[in-house]
Amino acid sequence: MTKVYVGMSGGVDSSLTAALLVERGYDVTGVYMKNWTQDMPGMRCPWADDLADAKRVAVQLGIDFKVFDFENDYKQKVVDYMIDEYRNGRTPNPDIMCNQEVKFKLFLDTALEDGADMIATGHYAKVKDGVLLQAADTNKDQTYFLYRVTGEALTKTLFPLGDFTKPEVREMAMQRGLYTAAKKDSQGICFVGKIGIREFLSQYVDQKPGSVIDKNTGKVLGQHDGAIFYTLGQRHGLDVGGGLPYYVVGKDMDKNEVYVTTDLNDGALWKTDIKLSNVHWINNTPAAGNYQIRVRHRAKLVQADLSYEADGVRLKLANTERAVTPGQSVVIYDDAVCLGGGIVI
Amino acid sequence: MDGRVLAVMEPYFSNYFYNPSSPYAPAVTVRRRYEEAKHSLAKNIGSKPDEIVITAGATESINLAFGAVSGHVVTANIEHHAVLSAANSHDNTIVSADLHGLIAVELIKAAIRPDTQLVSIALANNELGTIQPIREIAHLIKQERQTRLLAGNQTPIYLHTDASQGVGQIDCNVARLGVDMMTLNAGKIYGPKQVGLLWAASHVKLVPQIVGGGQERGLRSGTENVAGTIGFAKALDLASEHRKYESDRLQKLRDDLQTKLTDTFPEAVVSGHPKHRLAGHLHISFPNIDAERMVFVLEARGVLVATGSACAANKGTRSHVLTAIGLSDEVADGSLRLTLGHLSDEENINQASQIIIEEVKREYARTNR
Repeated sequence: MTKVYVGMSGGVDSSLTAALLVERGYDVTGVYMKNWTQDMPGMRCPWADDLADAKRVAVQLGIDFKVFDFENDYKQKVVDYMIDEYRNGRTPNPDIMCNQEVKFKLFLDTALEDGADMIATGHYAKVKDGVLLQAADTNKDQTYFLYRVTGEALTKTLFPLGDFTKPEVREMAMQRGLYTAAKKDSQGICFVGKIGIREFLSQYVDQKPGSVIDKNTGKVLGQHDGAIFYTLGQRHGLDVGGGLPYYVVGKDMDKNEVYVTTDLNDGALWKTDIKLSNVHWINNTPAAGNYQIRVRHRAKLVQADLSYEADGVRLKLANTERAVTPGQSVVIYDDAVCLGGGIVI
Repeated sequence: MDGRVLAVMEPYFSNYFYNPSSPYAPAVTVRRRYEEAKHSLAKNIGSKPDEIVITAGATESINLAFGAVSGHVVTANIEHHAVLSAANSHDNTIVSADLHGLIAVELIKAAIRPDTQLVSIALANNELGTIQPIREIAHLIKQERQTRLLAGNQTPIYLHTDASQGVGQIDCNVARLGVDMMTLNAGKIYGPKQVGLLWAASHVKLVPQIVGGGQERGLRSGTENVAGTIGFAKALDLASEHRKYESDRLQKLRDDLQTKLTDTFPEAVVSGHPKHRLAGHLHISFPNIDAERMVFVLEARGVLVATGSACAANKGTRSHVLTAIGLSDEVADGSLRLTLGHLSDEENINQASQIIIEEVKREYARTNR
């Protein structure tokens, strides 16, 4: 009997994942990955409820349950990476890093070492012979977050939810009476929690006043408390008040300056030519040519012409895309197949 | 909550919602009912009404008690987090309980220094049910006071007990216990949550921890929790009235349950003092069983049990009490706290014991497959 370790977060998706695998005859063990959370002294740990929910479902299903403590690795590889990227003026995506470094590397390795034959998660994606495919639910498809996983890891991975839509998943969880069937989906970056990214970051970087400058006139419009907190295309939170809304179109981290415009058609906001670095291909490197790309999770797939350059990949788009932000990922598809992607320079 | 408690509280959420400090007649009625409730509370613990401060529960009472002193304090390693945290803000000595969770009077005696101002020991331990020798400790404190008097040492020394856990089953008359301060909590006796009291003898100088409008003789500001206090008074009335009967009844049920479980599972470990233990309390460990799993299995079958300690379970760490009494990890992690109460009877305790036996067997079978 194939022994599968399922990452159980205490949410409905991973709960149903475990239930489906039990029904399909796998020997299933539930695993809660304890990732890094900020400890607030004297406060109740925010993850305790999720852990208890995950365990409750494991007990309901009559399967073994383990806790893998990845706190230190998670802090180094996901949290510190995220803070560094922000420091360098980019807008990183920690979920992608978490999948690359923790779920499909550390978790996989630890599970295999512990006796598992495969792992499974509640991601909305499909995998076939080590090839990553978009989920049946195109609205929920999470391949965007999975493009940095290796093909080898995928040969040892099951995504049982790939064939279902989210409403179907809820319905199936209800039918099975799973304890988490009606639990609200989690939002945002887990370790940042409810406080929001700005407040989270301000614990690690000094607030430093700088100028908000109109890109076109060069005029100083106001002050901000650190260029690090601003991201391309951002409209709100700019303390320059009055008149048309301003949008962030650039920043200079050395000078600690944020550049803004009221021009919705500003070239910095719209790109047809994207350069990617740190390119990762799940399986083989695809030939140059026409593919589909996605510039953010749940964004519509758009046509792009892929070519190779010395230091990365160049994508030429038929139509413009808004706010293609340095540090964010662009993921490349060949129809249903997620090929890989890279990070916007 | 006891239905009778809820019934007496209800009017103070509706027709009698007036602020007891307001001048008009209906508010004065509310004030009078509030004072009557405090009289009733006082009567049940053998004190005067103006020695009682109504708080928002035992944790606040404990903070108020510790706030009365600035010097050295003595407490024990199995005390509730509220006590241990409060002790942490003072120079302190923490004595160790024995393997039954009993705190030896001699250890307290040895821990008392000339500058010790407070000894705080719970009447009964919340996890193990062990009842502490409070009267003997009170006697010790009286001797210490004599010694100080003769030596010309003017440092006061008080004994505080958190009797929240014991008040339903043990006589909590402050004079008979011989304590200087006592904490009670309504929630533990089928009363409302967020209501408690601190009784302090008239010679204790309390220092307000919450200041404002000067309610509770200036010791605890904030509009009085009228409904809560009236509910608390009713709950304590009922607890006092049925104490003896209820205690005997629960002890028999508990002993039956304990025998059934230990006969079936000879490897099970019962913690807490064999004799000096709360009647409705059974702390039992099934070595190598994951107690948290048992909580989830049992709740699905209608049997609600706690693990070592609810608070500790929430933090995902082992109970400090179980570590303190020297339980090994594999025993501590298999610990269930079974508490019996008003709703327990022969039939449902029999059922519960059957279900627990089935599920523990099933779990042993599952893990040994």
